[in-house]
Amino acid sequence: MSKFLKAAATAFSLVAFVAGPAYAEGDPAQGEKVFKKCKACHMVGDKATNRVGPHLNDVFGRTAGTVDGYKYSKHMIGAGDGGLVWDAATLASFLEKPKQLVPKNKMAFKGLKKAEDRANVIAYLASYSEAASSAAAQPAAKAEAADAPAAKPEGVQVAAAPSGTPGGTASSGPMGLGRVALPEEVTAWDIDVRPDGMGLPKGRGNVLDGEEVFVDQCASCHGDFGEGRDRWPVLAGGLDTLADDRPVKTIGSYWPYLSTVYDYIRRAMPFGNARSLSDDDVYAITAYLLYMNDIVDDDEFELSHENFAVTRLPNEENFIPDNRMEESHWVANAEPCMSNCMPDPATITMRARILDVTPESGDDDSGIGQID
Amino acid sequence: MSKKSPTDRATTRRGFLGGGLAAAGGLAVAAGAARAAQPDPLITEIQDWNRYLGDGVDAAPYGVPSEFEAGVVRRNVPWLTADATASVNFTPLHELDGIITPNGLCFERHHGGVAILDPAQYRLMVHGLVDTPLVFTMEDLMRFPRENHAYFLECAANSGMEWRGSQLNGCQFTHGMVHNVIYSGVRLRHLLEEAGVKTNGKWLLAEGADASAMTRSIPLEKALDDCLVAFKMNGEALRPEQGYPVRLVVPGWEGNMWVKWLRRLEIGDQPWHHREETSKYTDLLGDGKARRFTWTMDVKSVITSPSPQKPITHGKGRTVISGLAWSGHGTIKRVDVSLDGGRNWQTARIDGPSLSKSLHRFYYDFDWDGSELLIQSRAMDENGMVQPTKDELRAARGFNSIYHNNSIQTWYVQSNGVTENVEVS
Repeated sequence: MSKFLKAAATAFSLVAFVAGPAYAEGDPAQGEKVFKKCKACHMVGDKATNRVGPHLNDVFGRTAGTVDGYKYSKHMIGAGDGGLVWDAATLASFLEKPKQLVPKNKMAFKGLKKAEDRANVIAYLASYSEAASSAAAQPAAKAEAADAPAAKPEGVQVAAAPSGTPGGTASSGPMGLGRVALPEEVTAWDIDVRPDGMGLPKGRGNVLDGEEVFVDQCASCHGDFGEGRDRWPVLAGGLDTLADDRPVKTIGSYWPYLSTVYDYIRRAMPFGNARSLSDDDVYAITAYLLYMNDIVDDDEFELSHENFAVTRLPNEENFIPDNRMEESHWVANAEPCMSNCMPDPATITMRARILDVTPESGDDDSGIGQID
Repeated sequence: MSKKSPTDRATTRRGFLGGGLAAAGGLAVAAGAARAAQPDPLITEIQDWNRYLGDGVDAAPYGVPSEFEAGVVRRNVPWLTADATASVNFTPLHELDGIITPNGLCFERHHGGVAILDPAQYRLMVHGLVDTPLVFTMEDLMRFPRENHAYFLECAANSGMEWRGSQLNGCQFTHGMVHNVIYSGVRLRHLLEEAGVKTNGKWLLAEGADASAMTRSIPLEKALDDCLVAFKMNGEALRPEQGYPVRLVVPGWEGNMWVKWLRRLEIGDQPWHHREETSKYTDLLGDGKARRFTWTMDVKSVITSPSPQKPITHGKGRTVISGLAWSGHGTIKRVDVSLDGGRNWQTARIDGPSLSKSLHRFYYDFDWDGSELLIQSRAMDENGMVQPTKDELRAARGFNSIYHNNSIQTWYVQSNGVTENVEVS
């Protein structure tokens, strides 16, 4: 816990004694854990800056859509203009269903289902808000928090087994180390999918359902049509550009296998809230991505474990094995030249300073390379 | 005497390019003064540090670098990626010497931020085409026979921003996605043998426990050869950003395969073709085809000093050119240095341990006459493979390959010592 947080926690108990603010019902330390879900986009505390979402210092008392330097959706700015001010009650409502309180706002987070989580994270945020320590109690959140089931210790810790065989069967391998993995354990972690369909869960989803989930969960980074916002990945388009000066590598134009799409969304998306989508939702999003890439043209197309393996991506044939060693400069394998290797003195043909995209060079310009 | 604040020191490239001139001039004057009759007050006057007591042994239970080294830090290039949690920063190669990278300066590449994992809650699973699927705890891992190896880890995209042309002024940015540490760990082979790999097992899937659940397919032959499951770097626990408590070490192969926060090893009969081995880390060629499974990091070198962030400030005379060379195929046999843009070459001196798949340090000591230089280094590995020129790589692969740019780098050293990233012909 930061010093700030400790001090704020002390302030809370005093205020709680006097006025009993609602967020005092929440536990800021538990809230800090809940906040991990928010951290992919939001910063709070010392040195917090705007990232994918605005910073959350002094969010209490802040009019919605007003952090300097953050590009809000017009919907969030409109909500602020309409009088939305963040406090324990409005935050509780927003965090429960972000798209309900402020429709079409760009936060790609579906909300915190548990009242307890909301109360805790609000208490955590309050510890970084000056206004929270003086503000009047917000009964809404209080009522909610009070309705919440009593806090249970989360993630009951299995005691570290000294032998590595907690109640399990010892390994019968050459060194007798480790224990036999239980089938439920293998199932829990083994989520990978291969091009031949191995690993696909049973399920289904269609293009229209996929669009709905995509707009809700993915579009804030990838754009409504997979066009990619800022520098987030472009997912659709780019067909026949791979040999161009500026190739556009998307699922439709570049990726060789559809199974990769399913596997990756299921394991890592949405960014910052991995493993939160149902298997059917992943089928639906994958179907929608096929549709956006013109690989299927029927918006009622349904993708399932049954028809998955027969769906091919157009660029599959264009991947070749590593044949670097056949390149002429390697094949030559010659003793390198040591003197008079060029007829004329070398001349400079390009200087990095012309482009001037080196960090800390005082410019915000972007370069043309990328790292992956 | 007032203490010199570390923040006074120019730490930015612009500071070097602009201030470098003044510094070079200033030092030349100082050097002149040292030869003059005026005695140096740093010698004739008693200094604070010579009179007053310094910190005691309780001041820094975990030591940190001198305050005068505050500029020696990892830096990132914000425009490269959408968000810092799925991005990269760069090792300050220009400030380092020897072959070992200090743990806190090893470049970072995450795809879902740094996972925080308590070793008491750490589990590693081996399953798939094995006789017995197993779960190991941290303590189990420590009971396998341990080994120590120095290996470089290079991101396949190191120098990737330079394919189209000179872009970034500093070897930290052009070449800083590499580091070299001594790993302590156990052979991956032992863990796989403990579970018993079935005869149809040909591939290994390694998976991380972070929010990206990073996965890569590795051929079983490599897994059984020299891969390590490592828990220490340079003698201490892995840093969180390097995969604490456990990472995979895949010597000589691209860094993305060195899965951090390693939690799962699955044996299969074919590769998985996951995101980081299809949509990423595949090398697009000029004709639109793309190479996949380009694992090995080919022979490469770079001069780290002088370089754009490390200009020559002492004027003409005795000068040390220093740099790094490495190859994923083994040791470095030779490094040549050119002062004239590749027309003539001299063989540099490799100093320090020459270890397979580890960084090598080279030096070229000479008397600089103060004329403009176009300096290059060219490494040759134990197989006789010679680092290619940028033009050779472009001729073979086009401009959009991103990965595996191991071409020769040129620095333009001006007569005032200011150094720039350039291309020559």
